Amino acid sequence: MSGMFDRKCWLQTVLWMSTLLALAWGAPAAIALESAATTSPRVTATLISDAATVAPGQTFRVGLRQKLAPKWHTYWKNSGDAGAPPEIRLGLPAGATVSGIIWPGPDRIAAAGPVMSYGYETEIVFPINVTVPRDATPGQNMAITADAEWIVCERECIPEQGSFQLDIPIAETTAPASDDVKAAFAIADARKPMTGPWSSRLVSEGDALALTVVGADLTQAAVKAAYFYPASWGVTDHAAPQQLSLTDGTLTLALAKGQTFNPAAKADGLLAVTDGGGVTRWFEITPTIGGAPAGAAPTASLIENLPLWQTALFAFLGGLILNLMPCVFPVLAIKATAIAKLSGGELREVRLASAFYTLGVLVAFTALAAALLAMRAGGTAVGWGFQFQSPLFVAGMSWLLLAIGLNLSGVFEIGLGVGGTGQSLAQKSGHAGSFFTGLLAVVVATPCTAPFMGAAIGTALTAPVYICLLIFLAMGLGLAAPYALLGIFPSLARALPRPGLWMVRLRQAMAFPMYASAAWLVWVLSQQAGDFGVLIALSGALLVALAAWMYGIAQHDTGRGLLSRGFAAAAIVGTLGLLMQLDGATTPGAAARTEASPGSANYEPFSNARLAALRKEGKPVFVNMTAAWCITCLVNERTTLSTDTIQQAFRERGITYLKGDWTNRDPEIGAYLRSFNRDGLPFYAYYPAGGRDPVVLPPVLTEAIVVGELERANTSASASPSSN
Amino acid sequence: MTDIRSKVLADLAFDRRTLMLGTTAGLTAVAAGGLTMLSSRPAFASPQINKPAPDFSAIDSNGKTVSLASLRGKIVALEWTNHDCPYVRKHYNTGNMQSLQKQAADAGIVWLSVISSPPGEQGNVTPEKANELTQTRKAAPAAVLLDPKGQVGRAYDARTTPQMFLINAEGTLVYMGGIDSIPSTRADDIEKATPYFKDAIVAVTKGEPVQNAVTRPYGCTVKYTTS
Repeated sequence: MSGMFDRKCWLQTVLWMSTLLALAWGAPAAIALESAATTSPRVTATLISDAATVAPGQTFRVGLRQKLAPKWHTYWKNSGDAGAPPEIRLGLPAGATVSGIIWPGPDRIAAAGPVMSYGYETEIVFPINVTVPRDATPGQNMAITADAEWIVCERECIPEQGSFQLDIPIAETTAPASDDVKAAFAIADARKPMTGPWSSRLVSEGDALALTVVGADLTQAAVKAAYFYPASWGVTDHAAPQQLSLTDGTLTLALAKGQTFNPAAKADGLLAVTDGGGVTRWFEITPTIGGAPAGAAPTASLIENLPLWQTALFAFLGGLILNLMPCVFPVLAIKATAIAKLSGGELREVRLASAFYTLGVLVAFTALAAALLAMRAGGTAVGWGFQFQSPLFVAGMSWLLLAIGLNLSGVFEIGLGVGGTGQSLAQKSGHAGSFFTGLLAVVVATPCTAPFMGAAIGTALTAPVYICLLIFLAMGLGLAAPYALLGIFPSLARALPRPGLWMVRLRQAMAFPMYASAAWLVWVLSQQAGDFGVLIALSGALLVALAAWMYGIAQHDTGRGLLSRGFAAAAIVGTLGLLMQLDGATTPGAAARTEASPGSANYEPFSNARLAALRKEGKPVFVNMTAAWCITCLVNERTTLSTDTIQQAFRERGITYLKGDWTNRDPEIGAYLRSFNRDGLPFYAYYPAGGRDPVVLPPVLTEAIVVGELERANTSASASPSSN
Repeated sequence: MTDIRSKVLADLAFDRRTLMLGTTAGLTAVAAGGLTMLSSRPAFASPQINKPAPDFSAIDSNGKTVSLASLRGKIVALEWTNHDCPYVRKHYNTGNMQSLQKQAADAGIVWLSVISSPPGEQGNVTPEKANELTQTRKAAPAAVLLDPKGQVGRAYDARTTPQMFLINAEGTLVYMGGIDSIPSTRADDIEKATPYFKDAIVAVTKGEPVQNAVTRPYGCTVKYTTS
C-alpha cells in the first residue's frame, strides 16, 4: 500500500509541476496518466485515463490496459467456447457517472479441436466513459479506483486480478494524456465497433443459419473477409467455419446454429469486415430474424411501391395463370370431372358447387399462408412449395393421387355402399367433394410459381399479416376463378353437353393423369431419398391399391364385408408404417443428384462463391434454380435450356451455366432466391459480362425468350460501355 | 331425367371420404414437413438433446473398459475435467463437485469424470495420478475415464472443463452444458448461481423433464490433441 502512496505523491508532484509548466507556456501539457501496474508473467495491467486533467461535467475515458505475453489472450464480452470477459468495478466520487465497458472488436483465437474463443492478444484496452461531477472543484483531484478480474489463457488459463487507482487533477480545462497512453487508447479505438449502416437478416434453416447483410458499399472490392461475432453464447456454433459469399451489395455468411439459438430473441453482434488492404473493422449489427433478406431487389421495390389493389390484382392474375401450369394438371382432371358433373345441373346446385370449391381453395390458401407465416415467425426460412421438400409429403401425395386415380377408375366407390341415397345426400357429398377438390388443388399446385406470383409471394411474406392474407386470398380467388365463373354465370354450365355416358368415360380417362402424377412423384422421391425411397413409395402404392381393391370388394358384397374392410384397413396402416421408414431415409448427395439428372449438358453446380468468382472475372453467367418436384423447371430445361440452340448460344457467348438444385432444402439457394425477393421456383437469371446487374428471366421459357434476353443484355452492354 | 342425373351424380360424386381423408393427410404432411424443417438435423457430430447420447468406450483409471452401452438402464453423468483448470478448481476446492458426485451416487447415477487432455497438456494424468486426485480431493466419481486421444470428447463436442452431460436410463441425452449459471472462477459465485446440473440430476431422478436442458458450458478449453 505504501508503494501506491509513493506513486500517488509522485504523480501529484509531477502534475503540480506540469501545471506550472503549462501555465508558464500557456498551453496544456500532455501527461502520462497511468496507474501503477499489476504484473504477472502473462499480463501487465494498468488503469489509464485519456485526460491528464478533467473539467467539471466533462466526459472522458478510463481504461483497463493489458499488455499480454506472446500467445496469451484475454476475452471479449462473448468469450466464445471458453474463458470469460474481464470484470471491472470502478470506484468513483459521488456525482460521477459511468458507462459500461465499450468492448473493442475481438479476434478469433482457435484451439485444437472444435474450440473457438473470441478475444485479444498482444495489447488491449477496455475503455469506460466517465463523466466528472458538475460540482467538482478545480484544483482538487478526482480519485478513481478500479477492481478488475480477468482470466488469461494460452493453452492453460490463469485467473488474475488487480486493484488500481488514478488521481486525476480537476482543472477549468481538460488536457490530453501522453502519447503512450493515447497510443494505448488508439488500440481500442481501432477496434471500436461502428454502427453498421446496413440492414441485416438472420435466417434459420435446419441446423444452418444464413446471415445476409445488404449495403451498397459491400462490394467484392471492399470485402476480403468477414466474420460474425454474436454478442452472446449459443446463437452460433463458434467453432464452425463461416462461409462468405458476396454479390455486390449483398454479403451472406453461412453459419452453424448454436445450441440455444432462439428465433424469438435478438441476435445482435459484430460483423468484422476485412478490406482489400487487410484492415479489419467491426460493425454493430442487429439482424432481424427470419423472413426474406433485408434490402429489396428491383422487382420487390416495384411491387412494394404498387398500391395494395394492384398487388392484389397481380396476385389474382398469378392465381388465374396457376390454372395453366403443369403441376396443376392432376387437379385440372378433378376439376374437369367436377365441371362435367354440373352439366345439366340446376342453377342453385351449380352455384353451391362453385361456391364450395372456391371456399376450399381459399381455406387452403389461408392455411398455407398461416403455416408459412408461423414458420417465418419461428425463424425458419421456407420457400413456396416447401412441402415438396419433405420426402414424407411427396410419398403421401403420390399415394393420395394413386387412390384418387383408382377411385376414378372405378376400383372402389364410397357412395355405392350407401346405395339408394336421396338427392339431398348426393348433393351434400358433391358439395363436400367440391370443397376438398379446392383444398387439393392448392396443395398440389403450390410448387409451380406462375409469372407474377414470385414477386407477389415475396411481398406477401414480408408484408404485415393482413396484407399477406389479402394477397394469398387474391391468389386463391384467381385459382378458383374459372370455376367460380360457372357459379356467377350458370348459363355457361348449360353450354356443356347433356349428361350421358361421356361423363363416365371422361371420369375413367381422368384417372390416367392421376397415375402419371403419382409416377412423377415417385421419381421426385428417388431424387430425394434414393432407391430406398422408391422402394418405400412403390410398396406403399401396392398397399394402397390392395386396400382400394379390398374396399371395392367389400362394397360389392351383399354382407358388410368386414373381412375385406379389415384387410383394407390393415393395408393402409401398413403404408403409414412405411412412411415412418422413409423418415430416416438418407438423401443422396447433391452432386450425385445433379449428375444423374437427365438432359444435363455443360453446367456447373451453383454456389455463391463460384458465381462471385465468375462475375469478378467479368464473365457472363446464366443461373438456373431447379428442383425435381418443380415440373415447370423440368419442362423448361427439356424444351429450352438443354437444347442444342441454347447450349450453343451459351458456348458462343462464353456463358457459364450454373444450376442449383433445390430438391432438398439448401440454405444457400434459399438465401440466393430471397435476395431476389423470390420464394419459389422456377428461377432464371442472366448476369451479363462485365459484372453488370443480373436480368431475371420469366418463369416459363422458350428458346426465343432466352436468346432474346441474351441479345438484349449484350446490346445494352455495348450501348452503355461505361456501365460496369 | 332427374333420376339419370342423380344416378350419374352419385357415380361421379367424388368419393367424399377419400378426398377428405386424403386432403387431411396432405395438409397433415404439410405440417409434418414444416415441423421436420423446424427440428434440426446434425450438421456434424454434435450431441443433440433428447436424442440418443453418442456411445463411447474408454479405459478408466483402473484399466477397466467402460462403455455407455454397458450402462444402459442406469442414469449416467459425464463431467469433463482438467484438475489444473481454475474453473475446475473452483468447484473442487469448494467441495461443490464432490457433493454433486455424492448426491449422484446416492441416487444410483453412474458419474464418469472424463479427461481428454493428451500427454504434455494441462490436465493429462497417469491412471495412478487420477486415482490419487480422487483420493486427495475426496471425489466420488464411479470412474475416471482417460481419453487422451479426445475421442469421447469429440463425440460429445465437449469444449470446456468443466462441462456436464446427463444421460437417462434409456440412453437419451437429457442435459448438456455448464455446471451452473455464473461463468467465473470465484468460489463465492457458486452460492449465487443457478445450479443447472444439480437441478438436472434432481429432475432426472424424479423422472421429470429437465427445465434448462441446454446451458452454456463455461471454463477452460478442452485440450484436444492436435495429432
